[in-house]
Amino acid sequence: MLRFIGRRLLEAIPVMLVIVTGTFFMQRFVPGGPFTAEKAVTPEVMHNLEAYYHLNDPLWKQYTDYLWDLCPKRFHPGELAKGLDFKAAFGVDFRPSFKYPNRTVNEIIADKLPVSLELGGWSLLVALGLGLPLGILAAVRRNTWVDYLCSSLAMTGICVPTFVLGPILVLAFAIHTGWFNASGWYGPIDRVLPCLTLGNVYAAYIARLTRGGLLEVLNQDYIRTARAKGASELRVVFRHALRGGLLPVVSFLGPATAGILTGSFVIETIFQIPGLGREFVNSAFNRDYTLVLGTVILYAAMIIILNLAVDVVQVLMNPRHKFE
Amino acid sequence: MTIFPPRNLSAPGAALPSEESGHSPWSDAWARLRKNRLAVAGGIVVVVLAVLCAAGPIFSQSYEEQNLDLGASSPSLAHWLGTDTLGRDLLARVLYGGRISILVGLVATVVALVIGVTYGAVAGFVGGKADTVMMRVVDILYALPFTIFVILLMVFFGRNIFLLFFAIGAVEWLTMARIVRGQVLSIKRMEFIEAARALGYGRRRIIFRHIIPNILGPIIVYTTLTIPAVMLLEAFLSFLGLGVQPPMSSWGVLIKDGADKMEEYWWLLVFPGTAFSLTLFSLNFLGDGLRDALDVRASKD
Repeated sequence: MLRFIGRRLLEAIPVMLVIVTGTFFMQRFVPGGPFTAEKAVTPEVMHNLEAYYHLNDPLWKQYTDYLWDLCPKRFHPGELAKGLDFKAAFGVDFRPSFKYPNRTVNEIIADKLPVSLELGGWSLLVALGLGLPLGILAAVRRNTWVDYLCSSLAMTGICVPTFVLGPILVLAFAIHTGWFNASGWYGPIDRVLPCLTLGNVYAAYIARLTRGGLLEVLNQDYIRTARAKGASELRVVFRHALRGGLLPVVSFLGPATAGILTGSFVIETIFQIPGLGREFVNSAFNRDYTLVLGTVILYAAMIIILNLAVDVVQVLMNPRHKFE
Repeated sequence: MTIFPPRNLSAPGAALPSEESGHSPWSDAWARLRKNRLAVAGGIVVVVLAVLCAAGPIFSQSYEEQNLDLGASSPSLAHWLGTDTLGRDLLARVLYGGRISILVGLVATVVALVIGVTYGAVAGFVGGKADTVMMRVVDILYALPFTIFVILLMVFFGRNIFLLFFAIGAVEWLTMARIVRGQVLSIKRMEFIEAARALGYGRRRIIFRHIIPNILGPIIVYTTLTIPAVMLLEAFLSFLGLGVQPPMSSWGVLIKDGADKMEEYWWLLVFPGTAFSLTLFSLNFLGDGLRDALDVRASKD
């Protein structure tokens, strides 16, 4: 298993390199730059700005310097407990931001990433907490009104996207009844609507996958054996069927977390949440070269690691799969 | 030399045609589809909405004519769905926005279809090392935050509707490529392909004239299911201000607009949102129905 993880991590290096290179040069070769929107500045100021960001170096040197700054140079994951400082923990330096000249991208990430992670984490819990029971119920009561109800609920979740559901929830539960705040990210109560909105879509997919996976497993011989031995229905479902039936759900968790990460762009815009997703979209509009690169690299790394974790869990759950 | 007559390959699992009436697999699938009421309803709704959006703007009021004195008015007899803050008729705007949304859905799906089918068919047919490398590329692309790249593309290269087609199509072809490859692998060892080879046909002719027509079922099903996914991505981008730009309008743009003003004018959010969700519902039900009718199983490899 360690060899498998090691090989996948090695494979990730060229992938990350392609991402960094692509994003780096794509930004540089399109018209417009981080300073084009600003008021006319004197040539000296412009010169100082360019010197500060090393924009006067030849492009290949900027690129190789940037790559060197990105390379992890030490390994103290303990430092992460004190705050998400990737420079202290791994020696990864994302450079100063172009739009906020007195802040580094590392600081901005340390500031905003925890908010997005909290939003994503709760949303994933909502997705699993709603989706699994609905899917299990639908599978166990197949072709009864319970099944139809659960399946239609899931279809509704898939067809009402976050940017429709979010505003409607705000309209109903924040503006009309006043139970929640329409926007903001202060107390625990502010977590409810955003996480429900974001988790809902994935709950729907998980419910469908759980139902399908369980139905396939429930027809198999070993389930009949378990029933024949007199195991209770609860035990059959939770003890025997679920382990095999949940495999499609586990393989969906990789794409789902990626989707939740990018879905948070819209959620953070609707609910005015100060997270990294909104920051990323703004940074792209602002041509904030370093902030765009930093967030893209971070998202890509998170998605690659999560996919790897999902693959490992999948093999552990299904002995027929092998680490290969 | 084959002893057995060629089997009926077009739809796996389709009932064997009886001697007297001679059902084709397609007519069998059509009969099964017609029995599925949800799928039929979905299909009817899709057709009605598409016709309304295509022809509606000709008969309805102008989608861009402003009436500032009227302002945002709630639904009435003159304006069935009300008007927006500039006094523009919302029904006309929803129909016109639907045109763009459906157009993006169709064109981007075609882009995804062409790339995905060609890529998957070539990988599956050529096989060997080329196949391994090509599918590894797909696996890696799958794991990437592609939405992020679409966002970057749209920001950097201007918000052009043609770029939008290709950016979305370039994201959505991956699943199609996987499915097509799996199907090709399952039929490429069959006798009729061998016969085509023996007749001296080239690879291209075998792929496009012999293999692809025989895996049309899964392709049709996943095309139907790709259209709502594409429309979702377009609306997502438009909601972030990156998709369709004014004076053009799509359901995503209208929803964004409505979400900004919903505190005073709920109808601006509710009607475009309903139209959009209704379309997604119908397309998904139709796609699921087609999958059952053509008896396609989700194949992953």
